[in-house]
Amino acid sequence: MLQLSAVLAVLLIWAALAAAGLVSATALPGPTAVFGQFPQLFGDPVYWQAVGDTLDGAVTGFVAAAVIGVPLGLVTGTYAAAEQSSRLLVDVLRSFPVIALLPVFLLVLGSTPTMKTTVVLLACVFPVFLQAQYGARSVTPMIAETMDSYRVPRLLRFRKVILPSATPSVMTGLRLAATTSVLVAIGVEVLTTLPGIGHEVVQAQQGGAASRAYAYIITAGAIGYSINLLSTIAERRLLRWRPPTHTD
Amino acid sequence: MSTRSPGALWQSLLKQLWLPVLCVAVLLLATAGSTSFYFPPATDVLATLWRELLHGGLVGDLLFSLRNIALGLALATVVGVGAGLVIGEIDLLRQATAPLLDFARATPTVAFVPVIILTLGIGSGPKVFLIALGSLWPILLNTISGVHGINPAVHETARGYRIPWRLRLLKVVLPGALPQIFAGIRVALSIAVVLMVVSEIYGSPVGLGNFILQSGSSFAVPETWAGTVLIGILGYGLSVLLLAAEYMLLGWYHQRPPRARRSMSRTMSRSEAKT
Repeated sequence: MLQLSAVLAVLLIWAALAAAGLVSATALPGPTAVFGQFPQLFGDPVYWQAVGDTLDGAVTGFVAAAVIGVPLGLVTGTYAAAEQSSRLLVDVLRSFPVIALLPVFLLVLGSTPTMKTTVVLLACVFPVFLQAQYGARSVTPMIAETMDSYRVPRLLRFRKVILPSATPSVMTGLRLAATTSVLVAIGVEVLTTLPGIGHEVVQAQQGGAASRAYAYIITAGAIGYSINLLSTIAERRLLRWRPPTHTD
Repeated sequence: MSTRSPGALWQSLLKQLWLPVLCVAVLLLATAGSTSFYFPPATDVLATLWRELLHGGLVGDLLFSLRNIALGLALATVVGVGAGLVIGEIDLLRQATAPLLDFARATPTVAFVPVIILTLGIGSGPKVFLIALGSLWPILLNTISGVHGINPAVHETARGYRIPWRLRLLKVVLPGALPQIFAGIRVALSIAVVLMVVSEIYGSPVGLGNFILQSGSSFAVPETWAGTVLIGILGYGLSVLLLAAEYMLLGWYHQRPPRARRSMSRTMSRSEAKT
């Protein structure tokens, strides 16, 4: 109830702002104009094609990042020497704004879906990698020493100790990366001619259809929001065996 | 830390440095005689970077970009921390705005780039606005959860003694939330750098993003790489700077014994991960 009224209040303020004409209608069309676009868009194959294109690039890049990042993170997290020697390198690379590589990639790979996937992959791999590493490192020294003294075989140790204790952290990394993947995919589409939601926003705005542009932006928000929601639910399901780390 | 001998220090330095050094060496060697159009020798790239910085307009681009990031981030910090303190303190408000804020954070700010730049123009103002808009959410959400995460006992005590609200805010709430606020600003910084690049690639006569776009589309490959490297250095340099500032401001927090810190740092890493 409370949350619903907050949403309503924001919509009302938005409508009032648009009606008062403080900002021009091309910068911020009213909520009725924006939401009025949706029935038309839902019947439009272009809309679904754009959503599909964005998700396609995002999901492919995300999966590739998970396949590369999780094992690499677990291994470097298990062995202190590997973690130490890669620390500085990872630190520098991780703070690199991947989208700045776009012009270079445009040169080398051209404006292709592969390029979009590669940029998404590069942006997603670090959160996954770092969280996996962090998770593998979270095995308490006492347990690690116990395993050492009992000479627990490496594979068994990995499967039964490191993997379970790293899972929560890995899940967090995956959730982070999932949100990032959509964001980066849209960013690439805005800047290039590749099809997708980002491209449609540019097209709509350049065609003077600001309310359609906003409808696409809200679609992007809805996708991000549902990904976050779904991954939170999935995380809770998968990690039911362990006590919740947070309650709120 | 202080009990470490200089030998141990060297050893840890060596352990951390060998791989980066090796990578740079391999990169230099592999591209040394490169005749490939897209991958010029790394030395060429560095030489181009140096030349552009000294004689070209790259310094102007760099300053333009830096100023936008600083202004946008400052704006987002002021608004985010201010609003976050209010929302975090008032429980009713916090619950009411939760889904809205989650949605706002999930909406990619990059999608706003064409809308804002096409309507407001290609100057510095719209870019600062975009950077502030994107950086606002992690700071705001982290402030809220930092304020909310303060031990209820502390809160009750402060209330019980009727400590005036301004004093409470300055001495209890803000310091308690500060570690998490900083985690939020760290996340916001990386968003700010990305938005800087995107907004400048999309439409700008100056700036680093414009520099790499221009050189890229005119097939000036060494220049493109040089600009890209500079943006990387900028991103890393700013995050190191922020860490140093955090260390100075939060010395009291980092110097605590790990055990007393644990419950706090756990919530911090979680919220950092959330964003």
